[in-house]
Amino acid sequence: MTKSIVVEGLGRRFGDFVAVRDVSFHVQKGEIFGYLGANGAGKSTTIRMLSGLLAPSSGHARVAGHDISKAPDKVKASIGYMSQKFSLYLDLTVRENLEFFGGIYGRWGRALDRRVEETLESIGMRELASTSTAALPGGLRQRLALGSALFHQPPIVFLDEPTAGVDPASRREFWKLIRGISSAGTTVFVTTHYMDEAEYCARIGLMVAGTLVALDTPAALKKQWVPGRILRLEGQGLVRALPAVRGLGGVVEAQSFGNGVHVRFDPARTGDEAIVASVRALPAVAVHSVEAVEANLEDVFLAAADAKAEKAIRGAA
Amino acid sequence: MSEASLPRTEPSAALPRTKSRRRTSSLRRIFAIARKESLHVQRDPQALYLALGMPIMLLLLFGYGVSFDMDELPVVLVDEDATPESRALSDAVFASGELRIAGTARSADAAHQIFADRDANAVLVLPRGLSESIARGEPVEVQLLVDGVEANSAAQLQGKAEAAVRAASLSLGATPAMAMSPPTETRLSTWFNPEERSQLFLVPGLAAYILAIVAVLLTALTVSREWDRSSIQQLFVTPVRTWEIVMGKLLPYFTLGVIAELIVFVTGAWVFDVPMRGDPIVLGLASLLFLLGMLGQGMLISIVAKNQMVATQMATMVSMLPSMLLSGFMFPIENMPLPLQVISNVVPARYFIHTLRGVLLRGNGFAEVWFDLLMLGGFAFVMFTIATRRFKRELA
Repeated sequence: MTKSIVVEGLGRRFGDFVAVRDVSFHVQKGEIFGYLGANGAGKSTTIRMLSGLLAPSSGHARVAGHDISKAPDKVKASIGYMSQKFSLYLDLTVRENLEFFGGIYGRWGRALDRRVEETLESIGMRELASTSTAALPGGLRQRLALGSALFHQPPIVFLDEPTAGVDPASRREFWKLIRGISSAGTTVFVTTHYMDEAEYCARIGLMVAGTLVALDTPAALKKQWVPGRILRLEGQGLVRALPAVRGLGGVVEAQSFGNGVHVRFDPARTGDEAIVASVRALPAVAVHSVEAVEANLEDVFLAAADAKAEKAIRGAA
Repeated sequence: MSEASLPRTEPSAALPRTKSRRRTSSLRRIFAIARKESLHVQRDPQALYLALGMPIMLLLLFGYGVSFDMDELPVVLVDEDATPESRALSDAVFASGELRIAGTARSADAAHQIFADRDANAVLVLPRGLSESIARGEPVEVQLLVDGVEANSAAQLQGKAEAAVRAASLSLGATPAMAMSPPTETRLSTWFNPEERSQLFLVPGLAAYILAIVAVLLTALTVSREWDRSSIQQLFVTPVRTWEIVMGKLLPYFTLGVIAELIVFVTGAWVFDVPMRGDPIVLGLASLLFLLGMLGQGMLISIVAKNQMVATQMATMVSMLPSMLLSGFMFPIENMPLPLQVISNVVPARYFIHTLRGVLLRGNGFAEVWFDLLMLGGFAFVMFTIATRRFKRELA
């Protein structure tokens, strides 16, 4: 498989502040690559560098075969970009917005008209072509923004928090579109802070304080960062009993989660029945339901962030 | 929405290699931006009203209302003497029509109340014993009390009243004490504007002022609006260059500016009989250079300000106010304190107004206005250079 994005030792500092530190990874053609991290972790800075907006202070990267430092204009011509803030023109109609972005990429005349129709069709907004963009609900605006980003048929598209503030149903629709363009061969580089969305990604990079701390498939990340088996218990007195639960043999971690608790344990040392029996034996505790659950990426994210913080503390000492 | 109809991914065309192709796509991008920008203007008609309605309104307002010449200045007459001689004097004073009797009062003590009520700006007091002084051939003393709050009116009133009293008393054979009898007589001959109509003086200044408002204010909002909406980021991940954005954004405002300018000149000629004694080409060139300079200044403000509110305030401070106050539009530059005179050298409206008055009223040509044109061109060049540079830097 060919590599769409190759990043080697990329870094960027603003004065004394290191926004991105020595990041290396690569993204395959047609892959959906997720970039996860808290606000200020360096996600947007990385995207800005990879899209030719910001020059790196160290390292280098190739996007669609073009060096981002040497040929930022060629990089810009071969990527689509959709930012976290809705950045279309609200006083323009849907069609006018698309026509504008087409014109910016040098489309003209009949070729432009044809491509506008194609894009309207692909984002399912043909009937809304003459609607003012301001009148569209958030979900449709995001779809239009995606359509604009893909208008010039770029081989790579960067989506920076594309679904921020959009309702769940629209988000699902949106991700259907993203999977569609990916299977058609377009590389998708997406940042998000919705962990359920991150599950859609083929691979995920975890950014913590400017450093890429982990990179793998969602399943592998869970295995590595949140090892063990997780049981979800619901009942009475569970939250108050958490310290005691943590002390049980084989238990790695216990946390309250919604109206229940999640107990993670090492399956080599104990089993489902033993855990549930031990918890039931605790004073003033009643267990009504037991369910095995999968670790989610939020756990991975928290574990990775903790590890990084611990390292930082140890490094400082 | 079917997945089959999703955008096909063909490797996008590499950047055009040849020069002519590069130029074509550059033009297309400029055109796309210009078109978008004119859609913004159409969707927000406030800008259109500002650009096209304001010139007409300001012109009529200044042309009719804000005339610097005053007629029929209201004066309250206090005739303490109440003799045929004093009546003859007051009749003669008010005969010309420049002063008007707004009322009469018994004594000068009423002046304070008259000024407070704003019934009149001046009180003319003909003192008791006036007729006897005239009879004895002694100097006559009349008193003029002027409300100094309205400084401009006060100055004009004083001059006109003095002249009227002097003329009237001379015709009555009295010796006026208020004014010295002139040792020689001055004969006034006013060139180019023999009727001394202030419209002729104002319209060229107004043309500059209106253009400054329209061009700077409108462009000041155009880039700052993109910062506000954060659409600027989206623009900069496209292959569009900064100078193409600047050009594309300027095209619609340039057109609006030209229209506004034509409105001013046509209205000036039509309504106020402003003559066109010089070369229209010189006029056109000066207008063009001035317009470009103002657009460049607006663009620079827009790029630096990054939000619409700051942009509007900056436009008012660095463009509108200087164009009105430091350009010679209303106040002669020679009368300003030295620091302001120095500052006025970088106010392009100064050169434009100088050229306009010269070309319209005196019939000046290139030979007289080349320096003004040079300064206007220089200003425009400097503004665009700084604007494009700043734009690139703001983004990094």
